[in-house]
Amino acid sequence: MNRFAALFDDIALLWGKYGSSYLNGVGSTLLLAVIATLVGCVIGFLCGILQTIPCSHSDPLVKRGLLGLLRGIIRAYIEIFRGTPMILQAVFIYYGLPYFTNNAVQFRNIWAVSILVVSINTGAYMAESVRGGILSVDRGQTEGAKAIGMTHVQTMLSVVLPQALRNIMPQIGNNFIINVKDTSVMFIIGFNDFFAVHKAVAGATFRFFPSAAIEMAGYLTMTLLASFLLRRLEKLLDGHASYELVREDPLVATAGTYNYPGKGSPYDEVNRERPQGARKEDAE
Amino acid sequence: MSELVLQVQHLSKSFGSHEILRDIDFSVHAGDVTSIIGASGSGKSTLLRCINLLETPSDGHILFHGQDMAGRHTNAAAYRAKVGMVFQSFNLFNNMTVLQNCMVGQIKVLKKKPDEAREMALRYLRQVGMAPYINARPQQLSGGQKQRVAIARALAMQPEILLFDEPTSALDPEMVGEVLSVMRQLAKEGMTMLVVTHEMAFARDISTHVVYMNGGVICEEGTPQQIFNNPQKAETRDFLARFIAG
Repeated sequence: MNRFAALFDDIALLWGKYGSSYLNGVGSTLLLAVIATLVGCVIGFLCGILQTIPCSHSDPLVKRGLLGLLRGIIRAYIEIFRGTPMILQAVFIYYGLPYFTNNAVQFRNIWAVSILVVSINTGAYMAESVRGGILSVDRGQTEGAKAIGMTHVQTMLSVVLPQALRNIMPQIGNNFIINVKDTSVMFIIGFNDFFAVHKAVAGATFRFFPSAAIEMAGYLTMTLLASFLLRRLEKLLDGHASYELVREDPLVATAGTYNYPGKGSPYDEVNRERPQGARKEDAE
Repeated sequence: MSELVLQVQHLSKSFGSHEILRDIDFSVHAGDVTSIIGASGSGKSTLLRCINLLETPSDGHILFHGQDMAGRHTNAAAYRAKVGMVFQSFNLFNNMTVLQNCMVGQIKVLKKKPDEAREMALRYLRQVGMAPYINARPQQLSGGQKQRVAIARALAMQPEILLFDEPTSALDPEMVGEVLSVMRQLAKEGMTMLVVTHEMAFARDISTHVVYMNGGVICEEGTPQQIFNNPQKAETRDFLARFIAG
């Protein structure tokens, strides 16, 4: 029992002395995870979209050749970055570039290289998720869009991708939570995140376990919070569970805009506010 | 004779070595309501999908106002904007409300202003009796309601011809009536329609022209009186007898 008391004493001591460092680390970790997840999503969506461009035998040879090459490149990107540890990718890019260019090309900004590495890593995973998300949208949705004359790009942007995005929200959440934790490997190139603070504090005080306990609690708090927010976001994307019937004739509302395009109609939101004179009286 | 809208000439379609359609020839004039009947697997739906270029014809021509659409370098999207299609499985956009479903094509394809698109959408939604449901999402509607919205979505594009691919086949029996009555009303208003259907009463009473397909070819065509009261071919007689008996 007194081990626990000692642990809390140690934690209190470390927190009192290095609290702001820990919090700075939390900030860096979260910021890196958020940026890298967003950039990763963009990369993933681009790859996913490019991979699902339709291609038939009647298309010209040049188009088919280019698409084939593009798919090959994306495939290689996904397999390489999904198949090697992120910690090594960071080392490769951070130390590899100056090694090969005799220090002519190198990253001076740790943030830039960290964002780059985590983003392209997330992108490799997201590319497959997005591809799955697009495939999961019923073919009828595409046909419905085509039947009213939409081009491939319009169909994708208005109909397929919004639904694919909703379908892969849990995957995006997964990736974000993985990124919160896995950005800890960026200490290898000197990125000063939450985990790097632990290394520094433990090195200075030799209180390894109390510091690790703080880290554990910190990471768990961050991921629980992220889970909660992501679920709220999913609910928001689903929209209302019920709908309201429109009892009055909905055409009446637009009649005014039709006859007097500049004036709007008495049913418009703008015109529903009181005239300015009336508002002044209210204020007094 | 009114204006020729659509001409299908020598249309064939095969998937691999499997031939679905063989040498189909027929034409549609403005104001025609053409019913395509026939057993399942006779190629009716494939024919309709070829006309809308959702399937690429293997051979033959599809002339829309005299212009061939089956060629390689036609603008399929621009053509489809003028040819409406109503599907058996509705295919309403699940990520949009009823109103948005009827507006998105007008805004993205016809480049209309949102106000204009909204008014047009409401006009047709009211015509199919779905105006009160503009804020609903497709998942919240019954099959019959979804199909009526799908018809309004197609109409809002103001197509020159409307294709129906078995519009009532996926519906519960009590919902078939509401969709058929919308279609009946459209026919009365002079809409050019091409309807693949198993509803023989609709084909007989509403359409101006009936095409009977069997095994990927047009077996017999003519006015409803000719097909239903005086079929010339044994296959047509058998088919109709089976339908009436069943």
